[in-house]
Amino acid sequence: MNVPLSYYLMLSAFLFAIGLCGALSRKNAILVLMGIEIMFNAGILNLVAFWRYKLFATPSAQLFAIFAIAIAAAESAIGLALVIAIYRQYKSVDVDEITSLKG
Amino acid sequence: MDTAFWIISAVTVIGAVLAMTLRNLVHCVLALVLFFFGIAAHYFLLHADFLGAVQILLYVGAVAVLILFAIMLTRHVTGTEGQREVLGGKWWAGMGTAVIIAGLLWAVIRRDQLAALLPTGAAKTSVAEIGQVLVTRWVVPFEAMGVLLTAALIGAVVIALEEFIRRR
Repeated sequence: MNVPLSYYLMLSAFLFAIGLCGALSRKNAILVLMGIEIMFNAGILNLVAFWRYKLFATPSAQLFAIFAIAIAAAESAIGLALVIAIYRQYKSVDVDEITSLKG
Repeated sequence: MDTAFWIISAVTVIGAVLAMTLRNLVHCVLALVLFFFGIAAHYFLLHADFLGAVQILLYVGAVAVLILFAIMLTRHVTGTEGQREVLGGKWWAGMGTAVIIAGLLWAVIRRDQLAALLPTGAAKTSVAEIGQVLVTRWVVPFEAMGVLLTAALIGAVVIALEEFIRRR
């Protein structure tokens, strides 16, 4: 417990920024999903750090993190199924080439 | 404990950076596994041992394998992008957004007053207590999560097999 809470928050913010950077700038749709996973994990690390430093020192605080992990798992399964469906349609997973909805 | 925090943080950040910058997609997933392990080690360091186990089982065991399968199904196994451009069209806008958000978060966290308000000492929750609240107070969200995961499972199969179903 020598490390102050703000170190965890800064680490988490940094990881979130890395994930955001990858998700917004990479071309491959699978890498975009990986960036989203990194952002999810950074957010959940925040929740666990808040629990440990007694901002919410109840077992429910950990349950919140568990529910977030479960939703992230469902999201990644659906996202990857969508990537496979898009690949079948366009023969590509390049997010720049998938422009059906572009105005 | 301080040293452990810095070492694990360094491993986690290196894993995340490599996962977002390498050219070969399979190498990216391996770096992502390193990142997931780093996060799990952080959970163990924070005495959230159940969450650490869940992290390893679910992310390293399931999500990483899922991503590898998606790469196999879309990239002819090798996963290399060769000499092609890896960055999207407006990559500078994405990177700029990330830098601005990192700066904003850093500015907020640096001057936060939260640490003074927190009670001293560290929280401790055993796995038995987590199980207790999961089936008493939070039983409805728990069941809703079961429905959500089932719906996601069926939805993923339907989306991925769309063409196959249409052909029949």
